[in-house]
Amino acid sequence: MLKGTIPIAGSDDGRVAAILEENGLNLAVGEARRVVELLGRDPTIVELTIFNTMWSEHCSYKSSRRLLGELLPTKAPNVVLGPGEDAGVIRYAEAEGGDWHCLVIAHESHNHPSQVLPVEGAATGIGGIVRDVYCMGADVVGVLDPLRFGDPAGPNARQVISIARGVVDGIAQYGNPLGVPNLGGDIAFDPRFDENCLVNVVAVGTVLESRVLRSRVPEEAARMPYRIVLIGKPTDDSGFGGAAFASEDLVDGEQANRGAVQVPDPFLKRVLTVATRRVLELAREKKYVIGFKDLGAGGIACVTSELAHAGGFGVIIDLDAVNTAMGYAFPPAVVSCSETQERYALAVPEEFVPDVLRVYNEEFELPRLYHGAGAVVIAEVTRDRMYRIESGGEAVCETPVDVITTGISYDRPSKARRPAIKDPPLQPGRPLRDDFLKILGSPNIASKNYVFKHYDSEVQGRAVLRPGEADAGVIAPLPGRAVGLAFSVDGNPWYGAIDPYQGGALAVCEAARNVAAVGAVPSAITDCLNYGNPEVPEVFWEFTEGVRGIGDACRGIGLISHEGHPLPVVSGNVSFYNQGARGKAIPPSPIVCCVGVVEDYSRCRSLAFKEEGDEVFLVGEPLAELGGSEYLRTVYGAEGASVPKADFVRERGQIRAVLEMHRRGWVRACHDISQGGLLTAVAEMALGPAGEGSLGLAIEASNLSAAGLGAETVLFSETGGFVVEVGPGIERDLLAVCAHNRVQLRRLGVLRKGGRLVVTAADAILASWSLDELRGIYLTACRPIFGAGKGA
Amino acid sequence: MAGRYRGVVAIIQFPGVNCEYETAEAVRSAGLEAGLFRWNEDPALLQEAAAVVLPGGFSYQDRIRAGVVAAKDRIMDAIGVLARQGRPVLGICNGAQVLVESGFIPGLHWERVDLALAPNVMADREGYYCAWTWLRCEDSPCLWTGAFAGGEVVPVPIAHAEGRFSTDDESVIEAMRANGQIVLRYCTAAGEIDPAFPVNPNGSMDNIAGVCNPEGNVLAMMPHPERASWLRQVPEGLAGSWGRRRVAAACDPGKMEDGGPGRRFFESLKLGTGGAR
Repeated sequence: MLKGTIPIAGSDDGRVAAILEENGLNLAVGEARRVVELLGRDPTIVELTIFNTMWSEHCSYKSSRRLLGELLPTKAPNVVLGPGEDAGVIRYAEAEGGDWHCLVIAHESHNHPSQVLPVEGAATGIGGIVRDVYCMGADVVGVLDPLRFGDPAGPNARQVISIARGVVDGIAQYGNPLGVPNLGGDIAFDPRFDENCLVNVVAVGTVLESRVLRSRVPEEAARMPYRIVLIGKPTDDSGFGGAAFASEDLVDGEQANRGAVQVPDPFLKRVLTVATRRVLELAREKKYVIGFKDLGAGGIACVTSELAHAGGFGVIIDLDAVNTAMGYAFPPAVVSCSETQERYALAVPEEFVPDVLRVYNEEFELPRLYHGAGAVVIAEVTRDRMYRIESGGEAVCETPVDVITTGISYDRPSKARRPAIKDPPLQPGRPLRDDFLKILGSPNIASKNYVFKHYDSEVQGRAVLRPGEADAGVIAPLPGRAVGLAFSVDGNPWYGAIDPYQGGALAVCEAARNVAAVGAVPSAITDCLNYGNPEVPEVFWEFTEGVRGIGDACRGIGLISHEGHPLPVVSGNVSFYNQGARGKAIPPSPIVCCVGVVEDYSRCRSLAFKEEGDEVFLVGEPLAELGGSEYLRTVYGAEGASVPKADFVRERGQIRAVLEMHRRGWVRACHDISQGGLLTAVAEMALGPAGEGSLGLAIEASNLSAAGLGAETVLFSETGGFVVEVGPGIERDLLAVCAHNRVQLRRLGVLRKGGRLVVTAADAILASWSLDELRGIYLTACRPIFGAGKGA
Repeated sequence: MAGRYRGVVAIIQFPGVNCEYETAEAVRSAGLEAGLFRWNEDPALLQEAAAVVLPGGFSYQDRIRAGVVAAKDRIMDAIGVLARQGRPVLGICNGAQVLVESGFIPGLHWERVDLALAPNVMADREGYYCAWTWLRCEDSPCLWTGAFAGGEVVPVPIAHAEGRFSTDDESVIEAMRANGQIVLRYCTAAGEIDPAFPVNPNGSMDNIAGVCNPEGNVLAMMPHPERASWLRQVPEGLAGSWGRRRVAAACDPGKMEDGGPGRRFFESLKLGTGGAR
């Protein structure tokens, strides 16, 4: 019997609920009883706190695990490690001696913290996600950030703008000092995010396959003594309960939530990263096998139990050895479970410990650079598979390690929500000229250059295509080699709001299209699934539909480099409880990051039109799919119903056709059709990423639809496709490639100097714009949100 | 350990810098040897280094003010001795802030702080700004620009929040001008000096992007030459001859590995030191 156990077994439900409440725990009464059942006795406060964290939705995936396993394909020939580790790993290029260059990727949300404390919330989002990649032994080579904010012109504009600016600042304040370039991201604004913004973060890294580190005590620990070394910032009570905080609804009165947000320190992280590089080098030199894991949700308890459990060992943790902030004696439950940032745990042979301590504490002087920081031995690995925490000479937790890591799972009820919605009737004779200016000036469409230039996109020197320059960010990861990596993040909340299945499927399609637009083969995806409260059956149905859409799209598009295999989902995250204090859930927002591999990055071109006399083609065909479009929202003030329907055969054909055009070196510019439709895509190419373009185009709208759709549908429907610029005289070659892949090709026109964009129908001019006037709107429409001055 | 830095370009790794690895690669691309030198290593080891580079980043978290803590680090005493002996020293971005805070630049009066790198002043935005800029290399005694023709224009990116060269002492500017210390100035792709944003990306007086000491062996520059040392690093949409070269290299991965505009700073070092070793 351990000292200080909590009487659960002998208390009635009301009393148990009161005990949980008093201790600030979110466990359900039934869950507390389950703890008693697993332990075979009443738990200590430390044990209860551990289960509280491990069984939070954030850590346990208790509502989603079963569904994800059933619906998402995670295996493919290029996958080294799929979901389950801190990050997914895929092979992308052969290395010497049969080894492989691998890409490591992780994707998470930091929504609630960013709503409450935007700068710190977003910064710790970056801080946490890069740790997941570093701890695989990789160098982090980039981050991406899909962001969803409220309405910057609505009733909550002041707060929305302040959050948007704070988040962008937080991302910059962490990523820039850390020395990790920003590779891309997207931003969408909708009033349904007023009370719950979304801040998703993706980190990508590179590592040789032979050097991938696992989050477990290595099997060598059966033959030689191993220790667990805690590295980094001194433990404090910041972020105590953070995982649980992410797993409940935000409550009114932000102050109540703030204590659960962690404190970021990119400086310390940078030094830790450089020092760790040295430790990993030494371990390789001395041929020690080590385990490495970052401390995130659940802190020391989570990291030690998972390291031990994954390796099949036990541990004895000495909480008194943990370096705490100002040497303060926090309660054992806090030291065990606080989510203090900038910490890692290494499982290393005892004889390697002096080297490890020397590198962190002496060579890189962590204790001098940050008061209380450093590397300390906190645990001994045991072979008995027992998990034991000691504090003040007494055990405060003692149980088989498998009990600590026992999962929990729920089957949530699901109920379809099918509102009676329809498209608004289109108004004949609408002023196309003015309507398009409105669309281009919508904050969802207008240039995000203000934001992109706030991030360091050049550090590390690998950038080939920077944020905004093309549909995907591209880097050249291996100096002297032609292989390139492309990344895109996507997820359209308006599609999900109308049809949650299409929301998931189209997120995959668009992300895959975006990497194909720069000539890269879609090779893996990650997903971050942002939804409301899963205990609400309609929300759980939305979630189920979204996951089903993602899974279907991955199988439908497939892995083009390995015929017959799906596009694998290698990592991801589920974020539930995204709703405001007034209970309004966000629109279903699955967000997907697609990784593309390109044999030769020199073929990756920006989306800007390049040369006078070049010809511009449309790959694909606009359909009557205006539902959820920027056009309906901006011009008609309506959402509509007819969202684009993902057609995987068509998507796959288009992607293959465009990749073939790239492979043959024909493509001079390429842009996919998405938000804002065909006309927006063409305008963005004419303007170029920084608005420097001068080449114009005249589009004949009546030729673009076999079904004879009207000009506004053709120009603004968001049916997927590509706009491609090629040199003159190769239309027949393009047609052959498209016919082979069974996709449509239509000629849009020839690039002309003079800087005008013109739309004609049956040779009559419907509308025309000078690039100068488009430029003025496109470049400045986001100024009130992100420009100088301290907001509205 | 002795001799580890003989003939090597030492890249000083203060805690918090974040460009040390790519800076070393860029130095190597010019045919020189480069090695990282951790800030707390024995300063005597620097004695035999061919040159010293202070790379970009956030040394000591830019506590108090960018570069100021590193400027007081004991390693700077050793670097100061080398600088006065004429050893080439380059500070890039945060390294430039360190050289200004230590008084090595402008070096009119040794170790007197005559310049500041103040927060950017920009139209329409504030804080950190990452963008490609054009630099005009002025006639100067600077060793680090020896490979450039006077008046030559090169694109190199900046990324900083405090890069505005400033002083309230007009005589400092006059002396720097008279000595040819204003080595690099922000300009248009055609080489015209326009004081307005974004040509002058941070509001620097006189569009100053880089300043050397009167002897020309020490240079503090805000732009990052290591991020422009290969043609592949040059953005496709850039105006001017480098942008055109980059476009012409499309579909030719071999050409992409050609040297970029920023490599010339390191080639200048090689030229100025007779090839180092």
